[in-house]
Amino acid sequence: MESLNSATFDAINLLLTGDKQLWGTIGISFRVSTTAILIATPPSLLVAFLLAYGRFPGRRLLISVFSTLLSLPAVVVGLTLYLVLSRQGPLGDWKLLFTQSAMVMGQIALCMPILVAMGHSAFQAADRRAWETARTLGASPPRAVLTVMHEVRFGLFAVLLAAYGRIIAEVGASMMLGGNILNYTRNIPTAIALETSKGAFAQGIALGIVLLLLAFALNGLLHYFQGKGRFAV
Amino acid sequence: MTSKINIEFSSISKRYRRRSILDGVDFALRDGQCSLLCGANGAGKTTLLRIMAGLEKPDHGTMNTGLGEMKWRRCKRALQQKVMYLHQHPYMFDASVRQNIAYALPPGSTPAIRNKCIDQALEWADLKALATVSATNLSGGETQRVALARAWLRTPSVLLLDEPMANMDQESRLRTHTLLWQLKDQGMAIVITSHDAMQFHSLTDRQLLLKDGKISTESRHMRAENVSTFPVGKTHRHHTA
Repeated sequence: MESLNSATFDAINLLLTGDKQLWGTIGISFRVSTTAILIATPPSLLVAFLLAYGRFPGRRLLISVFSTLLSLPAVVVGLTLYLVLSRQGPLGDWKLLFTQSAMVMGQIALCMPILVAMGHSAFQAADRRAWETARTLGASPPRAVLTVMHEVRFGLFAVLLAAYGRIIAEVGASMMLGGNILNYTRNIPTAIALETSKGAFAQGIALGIVLLLLAFALNGLLHYFQGKGRFAV
Repeated sequence: MTSKINIEFSSISKRYRRRSILDGVDFALRDGQCSLLCGANGAGKTTLLRIMAGLEKPDHGTMNTGLGEMKWRRCKRALQQKVMYLHQHPYMFDASVRQNIAYALPPGSTPAIRNKCIDQALEWADLKALATVSATNLSGGETQRVALARAWLRTPSVLLLDEPMANMDQESRLRTHTLLWQLKDQGMAIVITSHDAMQFHSLTDRQLLLKDGKISTESRHMRAENVSTFPVGKTHRHHTA
């Protein structure tokens, strides 16, 4: 108990004194995950919308596929992309393995099923009259899609939070594709795994505190907007 | 009534699962003509309106929108440009009354023109006092007036209303009726579905009964005979700039 207390005290000290290595790891984590979510969100929400509102052959099969991929293990994504990006792999010439780009690719693969499957549920929960009213008021299809997105914005925001929470905390894909290189591909979860294995609990606890604070901040933001509740159409 | 035909629907059929809802319906919409579509619950009134609005695809039938024969995808687009459909409970976007009305304006106009048009629409529908209120918190009658203000601003050539006065008090009915009169006077073809033909007696030029998937009865009566039943307010023109 005493060692846990002192490790936590050391962790807070590291955070408050602005430890360069610690904050560098946090920065990499945010940069990689934010890039991944920004790239993955627009196409994923479009697919989610088409699955909810479109009528085409194979739609139900696609919904099942994306729902199944929700439980895709991060290490499986890491292994698959590792084989694709390694020297002997089809994209070996791109020399992306053990770079932040490879980590971004892994995280995109991980968050897309969440964005599509949960986004699809959010769109299905929307009142269909929103789409019909927008179209009957002369809105073009892209404008009508944006209108429906606005109507279900809190649901979609929750989907984004869930996807972001999943990728910023995943270890498997980042470890395999990034290689845990200090100041380059070491992010919060891989650093926690490494520091814990070395017995340096203060670093691990400090990074864990950052992840927890992030979760609190994102949820607080969601509740703030839900309470505020008014945006322009 | 000799006004020109706006859209013509011929032999429209629609089945849900194995049940035939519409079975070869012919329907012509004329400028400035108001039609009342009556029928029992499940007779297919809403389905017919949704097909006319391009929101639902018929199993069979042709539509002449004045642009010749075309496939459903193009026909749907043409219908959605010409026709405006108001649900039984019109949908209000999660925004203010003003923003809801603004949605009916085509994008591209300057803010000054937009504001002027929105102000005119608010005045027309007597909604000025509610301009900043959230549209999702309005009563049934107020919601209908916002929906009609959007129609007034968009000025479609055809306006379809699904049970527009369901669950309304007498005052709201009177106001809605007045607004519908003014839209009709602008030359819009209007189709209204209702269980109660008497509510729209003075407004409609013809009454149609939808039964067993067909329009079985058509009665015409002179609009002029009944003009005095409901007061008609001043008609405002808009899009002045």
